[in-house]
Amino acid sequence: MVKNKMSSIEQTFEGWKSTVGEPLLAQQDTRISTRNVDVFYADKQAIFGVDLDIGKNEVLAMIGPSGCGKSTFLRTLNRMNDTIDTCKVQGDILLDGENIYNKGMDVVSLRARVGIVFQKPNPFPKSIYDNVAYGPRIHGLVSRRAEMDELVETALRKASIWDEVKDRLDQPATGLSGGQQQRLCIARTIAVSPEVILMDEPCSALDPIATARIEELIDELSNNYTIAIVTHSMQQAARVSQRTAYFHLGRLIEVGTTDKIFTAPDHRLTEDYITGRFG
Amino acid sequence: MEKLTFDRHTSAQFNAELEGARKHLMEMGGLVEQQIDVAFRSLMSVDTDLAAKAIKMDKDVNKMELMIDKETTHILAKRNPAASDLRFIISVTKTVNDLERMGDEAAKIAKQAIELSDSGSGPQGFVELRHIGEKVRQMVHMSLDAFARLDADAALSVMHQDEAVDLEYGTAIRTLVTKMMEDPRTISRALNVMWALRSLERIGDHARNVAESVIYLVKGKDVRHKKLDKITEQLKKLD
Repeated sequence: MVKNKMSSIEQTFEGWKSTVGEPLLAQQDTRISTRNVDVFYADKQAIFGVDLDIGKNEVLAMIGPSGCGKSTFLRTLNRMNDTIDTCKVQGDILLDGENIYNKGMDVVSLRARVGIVFQKPNPFPKSIYDNVAYGPRIHGLVSRRAEMDELVETALRKASIWDEVKDRLDQPATGLSGGQQQRLCIARTIAVSPEVILMDEPCSALDPIATARIEELIDELSNNYTIAIVTHSMQQAARVSQRTAYFHLGRLIEVGTTDKIFTAPDHRLTEDYITGRFG
Repeated sequence: MEKLTFDRHTSAQFNAELEGARKHLMEMGGLVEQQIDVAFRSLMSVDTDLAAKAIKMDKDVNKMELMIDKETTHILAKRNPAASDLRFIISVTKTVNDLERMGDEAAKIAKQAIELSDSGSGPQGFVELRHIGEKVRQMVHMSLDAFARLDADAALSVMHQDEAVDLEYGTAIRTLVTKMMEDPRTISRALNVMWALRSLERIGDHARNVAESVIYLVKGKDVRHKKLDKITEQLKKLD
């Protein structure tokens, strides 16, 4: 039975050559470029030859069934996979034309330029203020207390949480609600002035109201940042993104404008996934 | 784009809901075809009983419109349909609207039959009426058949036929005007025929709309307000 299943998966990709749609953008519009990216966990290949551009001030949604490689791919974009010993990344990933896997690349400053927000809010066990100030402090972005105060306030305002926390900045961040914690984590990411914000299912632990606030925030942030978001909620992908990329078993199957993907996708696998059909 | 199917959702309930909407749309289509047929025969034979039947049928058509609209609203609210499912729901909603309007036009044709009967005359001598009537009924049938079989080529052919009907309609109106000028005693009768012709031509337009919905459903392309040769070219590129 299992054997049959495997062979049908192989059949799915028989003749699969390249991504359908428009994965690439004009050079002047591109923030991140990936070319022929393969990712392996030990000898198991998780990502197969992904070519994809992510534009400036664009929200790109990555969708696909569990295990399709979308989170793995997202994490290659700021070398988060470096923390996994068995993980090996091949191919080119360029941020503003510079290969982030170059030997000379400072990973800490890379992660300031390409921030990430995770599924579960993970504030540090510190005060609300210190959570936001932590990044700028270790990166030496500001030296004077007044400047830091201003930076913390700006980041919290941009993350739409300032009004809720301005009177209790010295209290532990862990006392905030889940939705507030997630917005605090976004503020923490923004505080180090990134160019790109990666989001790995940022709303999956939140209720619909908190989710709506984060989605509203994503929309506002896209004026200044490039955002790549992995989500299991197709409606969320449809709501927040301008382009959508569909992954399936480690392959980037189709990329297109979100309007196109959700009304008339070209690939059968994309169609089946977003309409809830079984393969 | 690959062949559409609507029965492979993980949710069997969703499959059933889509199938329900599809089945009811086809039933409504059948009913409207029948209504047009009864209305047209009532006109050609100046049969007031048939005309009354056609007018009465409009109520059943309206009931079906309400029922299918309710079904599609529920699917939109509960299922958040996307891609082909979304196009299906949009196409069903639009087609239901067109079918209901066809029903209204059929009732208008029946009313002209009653008026002709009241004035003691018939549409005899107006050969164009029979010809356009046959063509329009064929268009309605083909457009519904194209929906049932998800056949974009058949839908395109309906759009071609509509252009031909529009031309014939123009010619028929000119002929009627000439007859009225030649013999003013025919004016009253000719006006009834003109109104019936106008309704038939409108039914043809609605059949064209249904065909456009079918192309949107099957090919994902909005072909409204475009020239036929451009549409043909566009669809060829997709194949």
